[in-house]
Amino acid sequence: MELLTNIGLNHYLTISALLFGFGLFAVMTRKNAIVILMGVELILNAANINFLAFSKFNGGMEGVMFSLFVIVLAAAEAAVGLAIVINIYKIFRSVDVSTIDTMKE
Amino acid sequence: MHSLIQLSIAVLLLPLLSFVILIFFNKRLPRRGDFIGVGILGTTFAISLYIFWSVVVQSYDPAFRVVWDFTWIDLGNVPGVGPLVIKMGIVIDNLTAIMLAMVTLISFLVHLYSTGYMSGDPRYGRFFAFLGIFTFSMLGIVLADNLFAIYIFWELVGLSSYLLIGFYFEKDSAADAQKKAFLANRVGDIGMWLGILILYSQFHTFSYQEIFANLAAGKFGLSQAWLTAAGILLFMGCVGKSAQFPLHVWLPDAMEGPTPVSALIHAATMVAAGVYFVARIFVLLTADALHVIAFIGAFTAFMAATIAITQHDIKRVLAYSTVSQLGYMVLGLGVGAYSAALFHLVTHAFFKACLFLGSGAIIHAMHHEQDMRWMGGLRKHMPWTFATFTLATLALAGLPLTSGFMSKDAILAGAIGFANAEGGGIYYIIPFLGFFSAMLTAFYMGRQIWLVFFGESRTHLKPADDHHHGHDAHAAHGHDLHHEEAHGVHEVPWNMRAPLVVLAALSVFAVYSPDPLDGAKGWFMSMVQTPATVVGSSAGGAKHDTAVSATRPDRLLAEAVPAVGHGAESDAHSEGVASEAASEGHGAEAGAHGEAAGHVFSDPRQASIAHAAHEAHNPAILISSVMVVLGISLALVVYVFRIIDPDRTAASIRPLYLFSFNKWYWDEIYQATIINGSVVLSKVLSWIDTNIVDGAVNGVAVVTKKVAFTSGGFDRYVVDGAVNFTAFFVNTTGAVLKKLQTGKVQTYVVMLMLAVIGYFIYYFTQLIS
Repeated sequence: MELLTNIGLNHYLTISALLFGFGLFAVMTRKNAIVILMGVELILNAANINFLAFSKFNGGMEGVMFSLFVIVLAAAEAAVGLAIVINIYKIFRSVDVSTIDTMKE
Repeated sequence: MHSLIQLSIAVLLLPLLSFVILIFFNKRLPRRGDFIGVGILGTTFAISLYIFWSVVVQSYDPAFRVVWDFTWIDLGNVPGVGPLVIKMGIVIDNLTAIMLAMVTLISFLVHLYSTGYMSGDPRYGRFFAFLGIFTFSMLGIVLADNLFAIYIFWELVGLSSYLLIGFYFEKDSAADAQKKAFLANRVGDIGMWLGILILYSQFHTFSYQEIFANLAAGKFGLSQAWLTAAGILLFMGCVGKSAQFPLHVWLPDAMEGPTPVSALIHAATMVAAGVYFVARIFVLLTADALHVIAFIGAFTAFMAATIAITQHDIKRVLAYSTVSQLGYMVLGLGVGAYSAALFHLVTHAFFKACLFLGSGAIIHAMHHEQDMRWMGGLRKHMPWTFATFTLATLALAGLPLTSGFMSKDAILAGAIGFANAEGGGIYYIIPFLGFFSAMLTAFYMGRQIWLVFFGESRTHLKPADDHHHGHDAHAAHGHDLHHEEAHGVHEVPWNMRAPLVVLAALSVFAVYSPDPLDGAKGWFMSMVQTPATVVGSSAGGAKHDTAVSATRPDRLLAEAVPAVGHGAESDAHSEGVASEAASEGHGAEAGAHGEAAGHVFSDPRQASIAHAAHEAHNPAILISSVMVVLGISLALVVYVFRIIDPDRTAASIRPLYLFSFNKWYWDEIYQATIINGSVVLSKVLSWIDTNIVDGAVNGVAVVTKKVAFTSGGFDRYVVDGAVNFTAFFVNTTGAVLKKLQTGKVQTYVVMLMLAVIGYFIYYFTQLIS
């Protein structure tokens, strides 16, 4: 129980690392572009958790500010990313990234 | 510009105009334009006669001289040579004026004669054109005032001679003869050019006057031997052109040309140009050079005379006679009998031209038969030709009352005087050969006259198969008269007769001198006087100072006069030093005392020879008259009275006869030595060319090929290899690396992640250590 009650910095970092790993996994393995974008969101949020955790345990408000910026950026990124995906779909009639390899060679 | 100069330029250029008109337009002109040639030459002669009149008759001054020149080519300062300026110019003195009149007169007469002789020839117009260019060139030689100009015209007469000898070029013999003439002349001309260059190298001028003045001032920087060499080399030009031994072989063969050409070029004018040239450079000839000249002249005179006595061809006899007479002139110059030699040049030109034109008339009348064995009895059919031919023969033989007697006698007197003054011994060979040749001359001319004009016609004796070569050349010579009188011999028309008469008239003594026994009393030898030498008389010696001072007339006159023994008042004049040095007293003195006495030489050697020649005058007359009478008597005895049978005599001295008949075997000797030598040399050179030169070239080619092959291999394997390897390397590397770019974003992400992980691993290992 102590593990559950005495929540320290390591807990946050562990959660963040897991979240980063999931996100990375999604980016690397999924073929659907939208899922990849979701993986990117997970990675960004893992970084947010790190910012907030260090902010809480080290004091100061810089980490909080950074996380707010990251959330804004993530929103913008999602908008841009989805727009790109829609355009890709228009061109290739697919959102499967494995088939989109015209930049090869 | 002096008016005489202007006139002489007209004289020079008019024959050239005739050439230009006739060579281009003869086929479009009526009568092939022969009237243009004759007319222009007539005008030229008239102008020359005026020049002759104003120079020789009116001024009557032995030292008369007009010089005009202009810069022809200015090459500026040539490195290694110095200032190089080539001038062209004209000199008119008594000799020039006489030569102008002589050349233009004979040329005019030959033009006139040719209108008859050459009529019907397919190349009639061209013949007159060639005569025009020849006359132009010859006048150029006469008028030139420097060595460069005379050399140019010298070559031009050689060219005209070449063209005219080979006028019937369809005939092989004519084509061979023209080549022979040109080559023999070339040998002499090379020597002449070297002589000119020796003088030019010292004085940087071609002008006679400047060269003589420099020599007189002692500016010749080389030894006396070089000066002798220069004189002999210049004389080589004369040896070629005037057919002296050893280059005499071309002149008899040159008789292949039409007979008027033989008269104009190969008897009267061009061959005399050599003598004229030696006379022009006379003052720079050293005593040694003069000795060589004298011996060559004497030998030539003798040798040609011995050949002439056995020849059958009427023109060949005359040709050898010409060689012999030219030998006399050269002999005369060699012994210092300058005036006599030039006198003989002029008298010989007239009577020999007359003889050649006469022989042409005979050949014309005999339908191109030239062999005297088949002639005979022409006296009755051709009275005009007979009379003029005989008169000219007497002049050639040197009988008194003729021009030839006076001039030949003067030369022989000079030869005796020379031998006496030189101290006798070997030098007596020269007068001896001269007198002996005089006898031979009388003999062979008597033989010719008799064979041609007297006796009965021997035309029928001619073997039927012995067709003379002359026939072929004249196959197209279909003259109307020939058809009418197919076998009759007839006198030639007026235009061929008139020149004979004029020339025969000029062979009479009265034209030249009031005294038939002494030409020195005539105008010619008074007007053409021996110029004082500018090289001194130290024979072969190196005493340069003496040579120089001996040429200063005013200073040495006092010493020279006692040596001469004549207390004449006249100044010695030196052509080389200054023309103004001549005095007014010359003419009258010379007329009274003859060549030797009227002229006092500053140079002791010249003076003693002139003096001795003067003393030898009477003995010379006597001996030469005896010789001539002897020769003519011999001819009479052999051919008229038949006391000695010529054929049997010839058989009894067969080796001698063959020696003469075969012209001393000179042609065979030259064939065996020079020509075959050249052939062998050319074969050797050809072998060297094919084996050594070509071998070297081929060797170089082989080496080059090997080197190129190696170089090519290096290029192909090393240089290209490096380039290709670079390309290959880049290609291979690119082929490997391009696999990384899959186009799949996820791959990139994986790589990015791996890179980050790798970086961290590195970072931490660094951190730990």
